Amino acid sequence: MPLMKPIVDFEKLKEIRAEILRDRKKRKRTITVCGGTGCHAYGCLKVAQAFQREIKKQRLQNSVEVRITGCHGFCERGPIVVIQPEGIFYQRIKLKDVKEVISKTIKNKKIIDRLLYVDPETNKKIVYEKAVPFYKKQRRIIFGHNGLIDPTEIKDYIAVNGYSALSKVLSRMTPPEVIEEIKNSGLRGRGGAGFPTGSKWEVTAKAPSPVKYIVCNCDEGDPGAYMDRSLLEGNPHSVLEGMLIGAFAIGAQEGYVYVRAEYPIAVENISMAIEQARKYNLLGKNILGSDFSFDVFVSKGAGAFVSGEETALLASIEGKIGVPQQRPPYPAQQGLRGKPTNINNVETWANVPFIINKGASWYSQIGTNGSKGTKIFSLVGKINNTGLVEVPMGMTLREIIFDIGGGIPEGKKFKAVQTGGPSGGCIPQELIDLPIDYESLARAGSIMGSGGMIVMDEDTCMVDVAKYFLNFLRDESCGKCVSCREGTQRMWEIVKNITDGRAKMEDLALLEELAGAVKDASLCGLGQTAANPVLSTLRYFRHEYETHLKQMRCPALVCKEIVGSPCQYICPADQEASTYIALIARGDLAEAYRIIRKDNPLPSVCGRVCNHPCEKVCRASETGEPIAIRALKRFVLDWAASHNLKPSLPSRELKSEKVAVVGAGPAGLSAAYILSLKGYPVTVFEASPVAGGWLALGIPEHRLPRQALQADLDHIRKAGVTIKTNTVLGRDITVSGLFSQGFKAVFIATGAHKSMRLEIPGEEARGVLKGTEYLKKINLGQKAELGRRVAVIGGGNTAIDAARAAMRDPSCQKVMILYRRTREEMPAFSEEVEAAIEEGVDIRFLAAPVKVLTEGGRVIGLECIRMKLGDKDESGRRKPVPLSGSEFKLKLDTVIAAIGERADAGSLTKGESIDISQWETIVTDPETLATNRPGVFAGGDVATGPRTVVEAIGQGKLAAESMAQYLEGVQPVREYKLNRPSLYVEPMELSAEETAKASRPKIPRLTVKDRRLSFREVIQGLNEAQAVREARRCLRCDLETEDGKKAIGKNT
Amino acid sequence: MIAIILNGVEVQVEEHWSVLEATKFYGLAIPTLCYHEGLSPFGGCRLCLVEIGEAPRTKLISSCTYRVEPGLIVRTDTRRVVEARRIMIELMLSTAPYSKVLQDLASKYGVTRQRFKPRNDECILCGLCVRMCAEQMDGRAIGFQNRGHKKKVSTPFDRRSEECRLCGGCIYICPVCQLRCQGPQADTALCNACLTMEPTCLEQYDELRCWMYDAGRCGTCVQPNPDQSK
Repeated sequence: MPLMKPIVDFEKLKEIRAEILRDRKKRKRTITVCGGTGCHAYGCLKVAQAFQREIKKQRLQNSVEVRITGCHGFCERGPIVVIQPEGIFYQRIKLKDVKEVISKTIKNKKIIDRLLYVDPETNKKIVYEKAVPFYKKQRRIIFGHNGLIDPTEIKDYIAVNGYSALSKVLSRMTPPEVIEEIKNSGLRGRGGAGFPTGSKWEVTAKAPSPVKYIVCNCDEGDPGAYMDRSLLEGNPHSVLEGMLIGAFAIGAQEGYVYVRAEYPIAVENISMAIEQARKYNLLGKNILGSDFSFDVFVSKGAGAFVSGEETALLASIEGKIGVPQQRPPYPAQQGLRGKPTNINNVETWANVPFIINKGASWYSQIGTNGSKGTKIFSLVGKINNTGLVEVPMGMTLREIIFDIGGGIPEGKKFKAVQTGGPSGGCIPQELIDLPIDYESLARAGSIMGSGGMIVMDEDTCMVDVAKYFLNFLRDESCGKCVSCREGTQRMWEIVKNITDGRAKMEDLALLEELAGAVKDASLCGLGQTAANPVLSTLRYFRHEYETHLKQMRCPALVCKEIVGSPCQYICPADQEASTYIALIARGDLAEAYRIIRKDNPLPSVCGRVCNHPCEKVCRASETGEPIAIRALKRFVLDWAASHNLKPSLPSRELKSEKVAVVGAGPAGLSAAYILSLKGYPVTVFEASPVAGGWLALGIPEHRLPRQALQADLDHIRKAGVTIKTNTVLGRDITVSGLFSQGFKAVFIATGAHKSMRLEIPGEEARGVLKGTEYLKKINLGQKAELGRRVAVIGGGNTAIDAARAAMRDPSCQKVMILYRRTREEMPAFSEEVEAAIEEGVDIRFLAAPVKVLTEGGRVIGLECIRMKLGDKDESGRRKPVPLSGSEFKLKLDTVIAAIGERADAGSLTKGESIDISQWETIVTDPETLATNRPGVFAGGDVATGPRTVVEAIGQGKLAAESMAQYLEGVQPVREYKLNRPSLYVEPMELSAEETAKASRPKIPRLTVKDRRLSFREVIQGLNEAQAVREARRCLRCDLETEDGKKAIGKNT
Repeated sequence: MIAIILNGVEVQVEEHWSVLEATKFYGLAIPTLCYHEGLSPFGGCRLCLVEIGEAPRTKLISSCTYRVEPGLIVRTDTRRVVEARRIMIELMLSTAPYSKVLQDLASKYGVTRQRFKPRNDECILCGLCVRMCAEQMDGRAIGFQNRGHKKKVSTPFDRRSEECRLCGGCIYICPVCQLRCQGPQADTALCNACLTMEPTCLEQYDELRCWMYDAGRCGTCVQPNPDQSK
């Protein structure tokens, strides 16, 4: 083969191509191994070498070829191996898979199942590359050859019709014709600004100068963007060919590829491509025998983001500091070395050969009115399919993120996508159906940029995002303009103060003013867009800034200084979990007990039935399992009870204003306790014969033994709280009556225990019970008439409690639960569901009742229907849809309806002139819990609807603070503080061995046999050794703040 | 000669002038810190910003670096311009709070608050010293180092430079590090003691025809300072 000899004319190029293709045909199979940067990191080179060795070993050299290609784009699944010509797609190939691929797939044409990609939507395995959903919706024009060719082989490029566009231009077109073609195609600059490429070329072409330059801009510096890099690495000749055509059209003699030195493969591949092209006379004098001469040089940049700005880039090529200059004069007039210069982005150049080959009219059919062609996006962040995607302009964000990108990992919620890098902006979830082109992005407050797309989920704090980009920009500003250099620095400082919880509201106004000035007053594109991260997050996520500023809360739990230790931060009752855990680790249990009691009037209860939001946010769960915080708390309480430890009450000044609390549930008791500690005489009025509210009436004893509740109640009474039972609001007392009895403030916390109706025929029959009423009966020791076969309807905690209680009823033989969704959607605590199943409760998912079957007014059964999960509704859960014709009947004696509870405030407070919502809850100011009636406050489930115990405690505490302010005669205002512990405990040193072994203890439970017919507590406590070991595992996030770091070593 | 429209008046200017030179020629006082007649223009301090173009597509440019072009519409003291200059003064003052030049500018522009934490770098990176050394003294002993917030003026590798002849040109031309403000040097970093300076006609105006010798005297343009009127 006449390799590496200059190609002297157009015919010769065709001949060579034909020859290469003939040679290719001899080998039947090609194993292509993705050689993109991502796959390199996964070790694709070793995989490729292993393939080569294996092929040699099995003597297949003549029929199989191994080729390291450009980037395939699906970086998430690297190293990627595609077997051509079939296009069999293997992903995440390891060295040990190589032998099998050769012997099975290559030799015997067998597909290896475990190496295939599994479509997460359908759970089906996909064999061929083009059938993978990630590729299916893409239109890979520019990237199309990346996966087929070896970028270091010019032959490969020629084989895929490479340099035919150049040949066409040189043999049949004049420069103005080429420019006209590009103009007609509608191609716009892919570097970000989107200036029409043809017009740009025309200006430079018309500039009166014998010497002209063209430049390829590959100074790609946006965080998370790597499409230019991939293109230059994966198909450098397509960029070269584009530049050659451009140079011919513009009349340039020299070209420069400006590429970052930190892109070593890109530098190597483009340099190699230039070398090869020179040898083939595709660069140099009289290219392809024409009188067109042109050469390209590589210029390496030192990785300054600002050098992507064209005037700074030219300064950098000239060897000066990369600092932008005033335009005009534009580079087209006075560019490199003062000569007219045309600068285009890598992707723009790579588009050119396709336009020339297939024609402007073909190209302009792709895309939208104003934006033609395809665009490569770098899809990164919180997305399942990280990688490079090429799509036609005008595709919606939803298609890119969900159809191609595969959505958000771990089923989290999509929040925003950042496009265009540091100069771009964040586009919120509401705009997910936005078709992507230059104009639509600009209208949404962002830019196309070079095509970076950083996807963010619900765990992303948008203020933190703004801080991140500002930090990048204050580093990367060239520093010439005061507005940009000082502006980005000061904006960063302000935003940092906000994320540290140290800023004031007026700082937000200053930030906005400054952002406007930076945008207005700066010289170059970098400065003019440097405020975008702030402006766009302010535009769509202003509430997040305000939450940080006013409430010192970071809803996404990101900002370290604000969050401190997440367990304490998230706890509605402000329990200092990290502090008492640290004290347990040191063995100081008495102090741990004090810390727990300090903030929580019902710790013995919480140690057993709390839904522990703290454990859900525990940072230890990022690498393993969360700390067993609830079990640790219970351990301390049990220890205190067995040592007869009594908490001390702080001294207080007694006050005269009497306070009434209606409802002795967790909210009411907490408010009463705190107010009592503040010195107010408090009376709690409770409708039922016992105190404790739902804790006493709803939760069965197998979860919450009564002596645990009693211990907390004793302590509350000891603090001075009077509890009057059997006193019903609306019957025995009224709010107005309480005021006339001399009470100065009233807190209503009557809870929400009205069972919701099933709304099906036959509901009134005997044998249909309401979940709440059934639980009340058994908890008060009354007889509940259950039949032999019981069905509980619902998926919440009440349903599970009722079912587990029924299992303990000697007359029951079969207990089942019908729930219309699946286990994943069940709102009940998963440990409860698990325990119910252990105990023999038969949970039937995706089933809903249609009709109660009766006989003589008594239940004899239930007609049900099967459901299937449809599309996601507003709450993000998939909606159950009935499957018609799937009705079935169950024989039953008792039906317990437990599909939910609601408040019933309207009937309780009739005629009291207190505002009631449409959900029958009392309307309160969420900041203070004040109602519309002065002196009347409301909280807990009666105000919020059914929630958890710990939330009710939080509400009670909040109400107590507001009421105290009210009684002192000041307007109640909620006080917000940074989340800090009251005490910093020295951290423990763990040996490497202990760290390696550390794991969450298995919480002991009664055996299923022991639970039978018994209401003994199921979950058992930890012993001291277990508790201390578990406490030592804590990561001590409370020490991660500035305050925490300072405190280490101070109080040993 | 070409014609441009300066604050609503068509005037003739030399083709090679910058916008700043044109405004100077017509007697308009535009504040500058990084500009010097004997040195190449830089465009870093952003004080000489003017608004060019026709509404609604006007923009701010630094007049020292922008060459005049036929028909260019220039407005030198619009509200947008003045507000941008105020922020620039506040930003620079926060890095060089003791500079008399900056304190005077703050007084003149009614910058009465310093909302950024003073840093006292005693340098605003205007680059006058760098250009003075290179262009007038042929020294090239000093230059810029780093970029972004780490940018500073220094000799190569922060060592004493062989090129430096200790001529003092850099110190002579520095607008901030020599003249110290003698007013109260409180933490607020703003003295505003010089508010009694010459009455100025600095308030915003879009188009004004008394701009040559009547500046401030006709009374139409003197409006209360928005910060003081609050």
